[in-house]
Amino acid sequence: MVSIEGRQGIGRDESQYFRAGERYWGWFESVWNNLREGHPKRAFTRAAVDGTWEDNHEHPPLMKILYGVSWRLFHTCDCAGVKRGLHPIPISGRHVTLPLFKRESSAFRFPAILLAGLGVALAYWLARRVLRPTPAAIAAVLSVAQPHYFFHAQISCFDAPITVMAALVALAYWKSLRSRRWGVLCGVFWGLALATKHNAWLFPIFLLAHYLWMRRGDFLRLRIPRPPLAFVSMATLGPLVLFILWPWLWHAPVERTRAWVQRHTQHEHYNFEYLGRNWNLPPKETNLKLLRATFPFVSTLFTLPVTTLALSMIGFVVFLRRRRGGESSQVFIDDAPSALRPSWVRPGADVDRAPGVFLAIHIAGPILLVALPSTPIFGGVKHFMPAMPFLCVVAGAGAAWLIHLARKVFPAPRLSRVLPAALAGLLCLPAVAETARSHPDGLGHYNMLAGGFAGGASLGMNRQFWGSSALPLLPWMVEHRPPSNRLYWHDVLHDAIVMYSRDGRLPLGIGDVGVGEQVLEQSELGIVILEKHFTIYEGLAWQAYRTTQPSIVYTHEGVPFVVGYERHHSAPPPRPEIFTP
Amino acid sequence: MAAAIVLLALVETVNAFVAPFRAPSEKDWRAAAAKVRAGFRPGDLIVAAPAWADPILRQQLGDLVPLPVAGRMDAARFGRIWEISQRGAQAVDTAGAKAAESSRHGALTVRRWERPAAAVTFDFLAEWHRAEVSVVTPEQVEVPCAATGDRIQCLGGASLHPDLLEIDTTLRNGLAIEPVERSTLVLTYPETLLGRDLAVACGLHSVWLRKLGDGKVHMRVAVDGQEIGTIDASSSSGWALKNFDTTALAGRTGKVRFEITVDKANARRFGFAAEARNP
Repeated sequence: MVSIEGRQGIGRDESQYFRAGERYWGWFESVWNNLREGHPKRAFTRAAVDGTWEDNHEHPPLMKILYGVSWRLFHTCDCAGVKRGLHPIPISGRHVTLPLFKRESSAFRFPAILLAGLGVALAYWLARRVLRPTPAAIAAVLSVAQPHYFFHAQISCFDAPITVMAALVALAYWKSLRSRRWGVLCGVFWGLALATKHNAWLFPIFLLAHYLWMRRGDFLRLRIPRPPLAFVSMATLGPLVLFILWPWLWHAPVERTRAWVQRHTQHEHYNFEYLGRNWNLPPKETNLKLLRATFPFVSTLFTLPVTTLALSMIGFVVFLRRRRGGESSQVFIDDAPSALRPSWVRPGADVDRAPGVFLAIHIAGPILLVALPSTPIFGGVKHFMPAMPFLCVVAGAGAAWLIHLARKVFPAPRLSRVLPAALAGLLCLPAVAETARSHPDGLGHYNMLAGGFAGGASLGMNRQFWGSSALPLLPWMVEHRPPSNRLYWHDVLHDAIVMYSRDGRLPLGIGDVGVGEQVLEQSELGIVILEKHFTIYEGLAWQAYRTTQPSIVYTHEGVPFVVGYERHHSAPPPRPEIFTP
Repeated sequence: MAAAIVLLALVETVNAFVAPFRAPSEKDWRAAAAKVRAGFRPGDLIVAAPAWADPILRQQLGDLVPLPVAGRMDAARFGRIWEISQRGAQAVDTAGAKAAESSRHGALTVRRWERPAAAVTFDFLAEWHRAEVSVVTPEQVEVPCAATGDRIQCLGGASLHPDLLEIDTTLRNGLAIEPVERSTLVLTYPETLLGRDLAVACGLHSVWLRKLGDGKVHMRVAVDGQEIGTIDASSSSGWALKNFDTTALAGRTGKVRFEITVDKANARRFGFAAEARNP
């Protein structure tokens, strides 16, 4: 990811997180400076805190803090020269850094990439709770070899990080069922998850559902199971960690927590294309509600590599048969109860921990929530991506069954030794190949069932959002920049243009006429990101530039993503046709 | 089952490597465009199939797809349609036509479709300046509207002008109208040469406005004082097209009247196009 992230452009949201991350770093600098100057309290006043942390306060700060710190530590600094004014914080001089990255955006992205790496390890550890090393490794590879996840995993956003956090909290909870230490850690990790993205609100619901299922025997004996240490820890340490990490909450914790919750429970429905329709409101008609409810299922069916899907289906069957004995049960490692009696610090010690139900809840939970017609779907797959590590563990179980079967069919010891590795390679290869094929336009990728990029477009599936696909057109825009320097950037935010300039991908002072429908007429060169609801902007470009002919089209496998238009001062020759009757 | 999974993995891997090479290349597009250019005649329509390839088609042949063609009401008036298609797709505009010519250019197929073109006897959009526009107030007083430069402005804020509109996320040339509540906006074309069919299409402009408002725009169509039909536009109605049978009036000159009302005017920008024609 480190070597290829630079091919992926800067999206709307990411550019804002760059800005916020750098500003958050600026606040830490101010804490240090105030301390040195003998005014330690100055950075903690409400005005000082809000002055920084109001920026992008709709999302909690953990990842943005990490992005800012990583930028400060690892960028190659040319900040003190002419680029000084492009920073959202005062630059007093050249930064002393460990210059790992040539582009500043890469330094910002580094923590997300590291976390994605941790995500692979977590998927492995999670799978190892029930599977042997080879199928667990398959699960780990499949967890990252997903075109849409891979797109999100290398950018400075929160969707891949919260997916990793979902695996981290789940793993800690699972281990806490038989380990006191993990019970405490579970609360800390949930706090970190809360500080990553609001999806974390749902995690306790999934864990509680599993816990009640696992301890269903208590209910049959008319006993109420005791609250386990993990939940106590989550209830206490979780909010505490969030509060400590998020200065925006410090001066008005209740009011601002409420505002944060309201922001996401009443979130606007942005535009999103699904099955040829543009969705931007909760549907009212029953048939549309039903169609809308299919969104996460159809999206999963069309975005995950098909072999991964097939392995998951086998894995589900294998999990269903886990406790019935027979061949299916042999693919799992032993998870016998470790004690006769449970305690609140080891509440799963005396029972089967029901890994199948545990995984099923973590897969179905996020997907079912997005299936509700009232839930916005503008983020596409990313809205239910936290289900994916768990789905891949199930796929790992499917792979384990295949390996077990292959060993039976080919019992020769030599063959039996190489079979697992060979099968692992074979089963991971399609996912890896599909992911490589999708880069850098993973959002527009659809699998073999859908017919690839072109098939997805024909099905009317969403191709992109955030405007990150503008990156390949930057050289053309620079080369064709009109003398007036009046450029229209459509969905590429000014923050993104600034970062492209800081990265050296755009010249300093490149023009930007701004956003909105009116400004396009003022430009002489412009791009339009091709999303269904953006058709209106292409129409404005036709009118502004007096042509329907784009000068350039960026495509991936023949599917257009971005068009570029220019105003030609000499009018094109008239078309030899008369329309009036 | 196990063999099937192994086979699936192999097929999917091969597909992942091969599929990118099956997409049309720029060379394919240039060859297809050259073929179309060589046979193009004034009045021909050029379309892409599937429609999502349209921007690439316009990059190659945009000079032959000017704004009036790109934002057409429908394709009825085109007797010859050039279709550049891929993956076996066929454009909706070619429905009912016969393939007169076909050639392969790499991953692209160029087909020339032919069918009898509708003869347009009157284009209400092109002749918009001939319309007499007025507003009928709730008190049933008819107040004429005034031409002001590129538009007609009416009492109460209603206005009308030709524009390129985004309706149902497709671009359409139409008369853009901002209707007002409790009043009726009336367009009268006093001398219209009628055909056997009066085709009327309408919808609501702007993805943002369609999201904001929920009012319905109602249009009544009358010829020589007699209603021949109605058509509605709402946020979900898309680009609605109706064909009203005017066989009995074909060849005659009549007075065509469009009456437009709205129940809730907030964020409603109505657009319509109409043609009298002989299919």
